[in-house]
Amino acid sequence: MNPFIKVSGLSYQYDDVEESNNKAPILNNVSLEINEGEFVAVLGHNGSGKSTFAKLLNMILIPTEGEILINGKNICDPDMTDDDVLELRKNIGMVFQNPDNQLVATIVEDDVAFGPENLGIAPDEIRKRVDDALRDVGMSEYAHHEPHRLSGGQKQRVAIAGIMAMMPRCIIFDESTAMLDPMGRKEVMNSIVRLNREKNITVIMITHYMEEAAMADRIVVIDDGRIILDGTPFDVFEEEELLKSCGLNVPQSTALVHLLQNDGLNIDGKCVGLEECADAIAALILKEV
Amino acid sequence: MSEIVLENVSFYHGKDTPYEIKALKNINLTIPSGKITGLIGHTGSGKSTLVQMFNGLLTPAEGRVLINGEDIWKEPKKIRNVRFRVGLVMQYPEYQLFEETIYKDIAFGPRNMRISEDEIDERVIQAAEFVGLERELLDKSPFDLSGGQKRRAAIAGIIAMRPEILVLDEPAAGLDPRGRDSIFANITEYQKKSGSTVVIVSHSMEDMAKLCDNLVVMAAGEILMSGDRATVFSEPDKLTAVGLDVPQITQLMNLLAKRGVPLAKGVYTVEQAYEFIKNNLR
Repeated sequence: MNPFIKVSGLSYQYDDVEESNNKAPILNNVSLEINEGEFVAVLGHNGSGKSTFAKLLNMILIPTEGEILINGKNICDPDMTDDDVLELRKNIGMVFQNPDNQLVATIVEDDVAFGPENLGIAPDEIRKRVDDALRDVGMSEYAHHEPHRLSGGQKQRVAIAGIMAMMPRCIIFDESTAMLDPMGRKEVMNSIVRLNREKNITVIMITHYMEEAAMADRIVVIDDGRIILDGTPFDVFEEEELLKSCGLNVPQSTALVHLLQNDGLNIDGKCVGLEECADAIAALILKEV
Repeated sequence: MSEIVLENVSFYHGKDTPYEIKALKNINLTIPSGKITGLIGHTGSGKSTLVQMFNGLLTPAEGRVLINGEDIWKEPKKIRNVRFRVGLVMQYPEYQLFEETIYKDIAFGPRNMRISEDEIDERVIQAAEFVGLERELLDKSPFDLSGGQKRRAAIAGIIAMRPEILVLDEPAAGLDPRGRDSIFANITEYQKKSGSTVVIVSHSMEDMAKLCDNLVVMAAGEILMSGDRATVFSEPDKLTAVGLDVPQITQLMNLLAKRGVPLAKGVYTVEQAYEFIKNNLR
């Protein structure tokens, strides 16, 4: 099977660089493949090139070098017509950091309908898509509410429903939980996981929260425009020193496990999540007692 | 020594309209002098409205705001002086940088205080040092700086006014882990050196647990709890009921207790958890 997204030799440099600015490319010869249905977290410090990468995938930006194949089609082909671009963009939706910048209508269900209306979908079909999308993010009962009166987590879930209603095969989340309180973050993370597991939507999630990245199938770490780590959350978080040297960290539970392992304690299992870590540490303590 | 006291403070958004919302409901609160106080609460709980009471950006509809026992609204025409004494760093303050150079931007606050050029210069240099901005960045345009550097510059602009009370609304939002840690380290250092009163608003329970001597929890326009870390974080159910939580490491300790390990009391950081487990292994 061909990968859903295939990136090869991708470089990007902002072309309005003046003398005073750093001339180093934002992305430097990046290659990677993402399969349909994968849940990939992208980590990197501020200015590492993560958001640029996301904008390239969605054709908001055009690469300086290299190519991006989505579903086998080269999205960097200069001969593409506007219609082709539109068709390809339908594949990949994007949810941004601040939901207030992404909500346009005065009623929740109108907002969710905005995307499919612009795609020229028939009204009956729009009705169905809006209802399905709101149900998928657990916001059906708010269909007739005003978006600005919702909590941050609720607003962000409406923004996700708005993308879902366009039926993309992949959704990119660009720090979509950064402005939310703990409950809001949990709500949005649950929605993201469900979309991935139940609807088989490919998820690319950019985040600064290590415990959110731990919920993905795979973590890609970008530093100064290059991919420096790519693997399962367990494998990536094993590299605590490397992560810290590029401005990142590991989840608190992993940091604790590493401290204990450094003391020579034998902790079983590839634990990453809270429950797994609790199992492993409890086993250690209870065995000794 | 600078203490903030709120007495029965209420505030309404859209007062006398059909959309009237009571954003603050009879708040009674003391922010202790010379400490770091953390303010937590769900989105829309009234945190940002509350901090705008501290420096007189908003006027209470009912009740009084006292700084060192004095009502800040006693002489409304002099409220500007309160804004020099209580420095407020708003959310995403980097969007407020407007001058041609970082130096001029940091100097804007002190210049409004009508102090001498020499003192302004001294304050700008010192404030930049406090937030970890290198000297050579001061002559650059804000557009030439990274997001994290711009955030620091904006905080320096407030610190340069040498406020007795420094209030920061989500100072680390959107920053990577190293950026968060270093901004918080700067703030802690500033507090120690200046002895000023600091209030930090944040959604990160992990950061608040590491930094704050004192915590205030808001929910739906009211004060739900306040006290030291142990008082607040020993009630996880009360916190989750209002959209908050305990730090991740404390959650882990609670999960261990469910598996038959003795309950770890007072564990809010990774280091404390490590000590606890080592002690239980002996």
